[in-house]
Amino acid sequence: MTVALIGFAILLILIVILRIPIAFSMAIVGFFGFAYMQGLNFDTYTDFNWNSALSMAAKRVINTAQEYSLSVIPLFILMGNLVTKSGLSHQLYRASNAFLGHMQGGLSMATVVACGGFSAICGSSLATSATMAKVAMPPMRKYGYADSLATASIAAGGTLGILIPPSVILVIYGLLTETSIRELFAAGFIPGFIGILLYLCAVRFAVWRNPEDGPCGERLSWPERIQALQGVWGVLILFSVVMGGIYLGVFTPTEAAGIGAGGAFVIALYRRSLTLANLFDILTDTARTSAMLFGVLIGALIFSNFINRAGLPGDLLTLVQSVDVSPMVVIFFILGIYIVLGMVFESLSMMLLTVPIFFPLVQSLGFDLVWFGIVVVVVTEISLITPPVGMNVFVLSAVLRDVKASTIFKGVTPFWCADIIRLILITLIAPISLFLPELLYR
Amino acid sequence: MLFCTWVSTHYEEQGPVKWLAFALEMIAATTLFLLMLLTCSDVVGRYFLSNSIDGTTELTEIALAILIFAEMPVITWRGGHVVVDILDRMMGRTVIKLLGLFSVFLIASSLYFIATQIYFLAERSFRRSEVTEFLQLPVGLIVEYIAFMSWITAATLLSYGVYRLLWRSRD
Amino acid sequence: ETIMRVASWLPPTHVQNAVVWPTWGKWIEEATEGRVKLEIEYGLGHPKTLFELVEDGVADASFSYHGYVPGRFKLALGVEEPLMGASAEAASVAYWRVHQKYFAAANEHDGLTVAGVFVHGPGQIQTIEPISSLADLKGKKIRIGGGVPAEIGNRLGVTPVGAPAPKVYELLQQGIVDGVFLPIAEQKTLRLNEVARNVVALPGGMYLGSFSIFINPDFLDSLSDKDREAIMSVSGEKLSAMAGRAWDAADREGMKAAEEAGVNIVKVSADDAFAKDFNQLVEGMDQIWLDSVADRDVDAKSALAELRSIAHSYHE
Ligand code: NA
Ligand code: NA
Repeated sequence: MTVALIGFAILLILIVILRIPIAFSMAIVGFFGFAYMQGLNFDTYTDFNWNSALSMAAKRVINTAQEYSLSVIPLFILMGNLVTKSGLSHQLYRASNAFLGHMQGGLSMATVVACGGFSAICGSSLATSATMAKVAMPPMRKYGYADSLATASIAAGGTLGILIPPSVILVIYGLLTETSIRELFAAGFIPGFIGILLYLCAVRFAVWRNPEDGPCGERLSWPERIQALQGVWGVLILFSVVMGGIYLGVFTPTEAAGIGAGGAFVIALYRRSLTLANLFDILTDTARTSAMLFGVLIGALIFSNFINRAGLPGDLLTLVQSVDVSPMVVIFFILGIYIVLGMVFESLSMMLLTVPIFFPLVQSLGFDLVWFGIVVVVVTEISLITPPVGMNVFVLSAVLRDVKASTIFKGVTPFWCADIIRLILITLIAPISLFLPELLYR
Repeated sequence: MLFCTWVSTHYEEQGPVKWLAFALEMIAATTLFLLMLLTCSDVVGRYFLSNSIDGTTELTEIALAILIFAEMPVITWRGGHVVVDILDRMMGRTVIKLLGLFSVFLIASSLYFIATQIYFLAERSFRRSEVTEFLQLPVGLIVEYIAFMSWITAATLLSYGVYRLLWRSRD
Repeated sequence: ETIMRVASWLPPTHVQNAVVWPTWGKWIEEATEGRVKLEIEYGLGHPKTLFELVEDGVADASFSYHGYVPGRFKLALGVEEPLMGASAEAASVAYWRVHQKYFAAANEHDGLTVAGVFVHGPGQIQTIEPISSLADLKGKKIRIGGGVPAEIGNRLGVTPVGAPAPKVYELLQQGIVDGVFLPIAEQKTLRLNEVARNVVALPGGMYLGSFSIFINPDFLDSLSDKDREAIMSVSGEKLSAMAGRAWDAADREGMKAAEEAGVNIVKVSADDAFAKDFNQLVEGMDQIWLDSVADRDVDAKSALAELRSIAHSYHE
């Protein structure tokens, strides 16, 4: 435990004080930490066998760069970029604005809903944030929204989709714990929609505190609204094809990314908004963002190998078991650990590291594993916007080079609080998650 | 010449580095476009021609690696990796530059060593004649590519990356 | 006291992690009088990398599936050939003996000490809609792993869909594939009893899946001669048989889970038309394997014959 905690501390120093890119900070601490666990110290470093630590890191690089399921990242980002460049995003937001813009923070609310819808389809928080940054940011800026509120609603909105099915994370949880995946999917719906509602409240709260952050637009008449809708048929068709294709089983979510990108390409061609030069721009822009994300992912995986080897997950379990309290207190204790881990981890590695350790304990305390799955996913969602390492926030600041991560973190606070409220609700009131699975399958 | 002007206005880099950046990004862009076409034709093939493309999965994996590592040198020498900037306001420009140099050194050396190990693993994979499932392509080839691109990333970062950081950075 | 770190994959509840490792660990602990203890570690990466991670000392021991590394383990795939007609335990014991006598010399496990080899139970046809003959599978979208099952799929004229095993549930649930070829144990472990509601169990199954359990040689060298010999004394055939037996038990559990969930299970007997069609379908597949290992300098033909005769005469 001590080794792992020292590792965390060094990682934070590298990231925050020495300003070393996150990807390389995590990889370097992970590499040396792992070597330390293999017997490296000041007496042995001259004749230390570096081969095992090097192989561990090298294999992570080789395999992550060739991980089939990660192809959703470049392809969905490409889809977003194509949609944006063909001018559809502008019309999409004109339509949203027509319906919601007259309200305080209306575009932010539209963004949350759109992010929820989009990330529900693509299931990747990172891809959602990157895409929606391209789509939603320009209009919000145009209507005078504060960067903090605008970016925060994208970063937070992007976390919603992990819970709304189909969800890769829920499938992984189901396989790790042998829990019914369709029950998990059913259980995710209501908490997912509660998430959207609470985020809408968070937007209202933010504009109530600072009305100038989300100014009202003019109210449009119904004919104008209908007319605004006509500009977005392309996006609607694209979204229906992607979403419908997944739900009807025409293609997998991974393939849907390629279909979505292809569809967006066809729409862009049809609208004659593509030249060879701007196609090249769209493709290279996508490639750059993807390469950056893969770097962080590889770093996180190398670091998680170290944390795992240092025995942190197992030690935490011993710690939880050693305190003699009621089962619900143990659950809150576990959630506390998740929130602390969430400061430095991204969702998937957190899930892979902790679930195998915690679920036998939770099961032995008599809790429902479907319910625990939803709780775990909500708490990992929170990790995506929890400083100092909130992956969604970093994706946004990478896509929008002129907005600092600190600005986004500031804006994210009300959304983070909304998430905590949702977490408490779902933890204390199990039927929120279990109602649908009970109704449909039990 | 129109094309040269376009590349010049498009890339902030100087001299030959500009053309290197263009070449690498051209590879990445083409691969990404082909990846999109591949997925689409696989799904279309499955439904309308009742035959999916053999080895779509492995081609996707290879394309992903090509795409990511073609782009790696460019984003690295441009300082495009995610950095936490919470303390920037408290540090002076000189401190930030010095820390930048320190990062360059750390990143380049870790890439150098990891690339050496990746190259070793590629050789071993060749020796054992490991191939992909359907297309029987040697697995070592793409691993070797990752090693070479990591070395190129380290080399360009140490040369152009340092030059850019010290003399050309705008902020 | 030495800790032997065993890198593992599959869920913690899977028979490999719940039974095979703990049993072997107990044996090792007893044989070394408590000086060597086994510890399971998850999450080191894709199972295909475990061969090399153990070779390079990232973990001390592990197990993996030979089909994940095409080209390297060609001999090992011989045991996957159809029509073995034996339980996983019998096939695993035969496999170990044949491995020692024939395959080991070709050194496909270069850099590793092989502690055991085993197979999973027979792969069966598991589909969303019922099928009444092999011909019904023609044109159906079937998720298939590589190697022997891929060749069978090819001969059946199915549209193959490639995906790792943990993705299968999702593919079936969404109807992206019409079925899979997998052991019956997955009715429980991958929860296929919710989505693949029709199973055709051929006698002896369609194919077997080949695994090995291996140890890092440097780790063994770091132990005393006595402990090293103690570990090897509870490995080899004893370990292979135990692993096969455990995976057989997982198949029985899978069958039970399928029956309890009301899955439509057709148990084909050897003289049914279904079984005869299948025998006809796979004719000549032995030769394909023999040709593929021609460069290995091993009497593969005798090895295959011996594999089958040992498996058939084995009594549990
Ligand atoms: Na989703
Ligand atoms: Na976080």
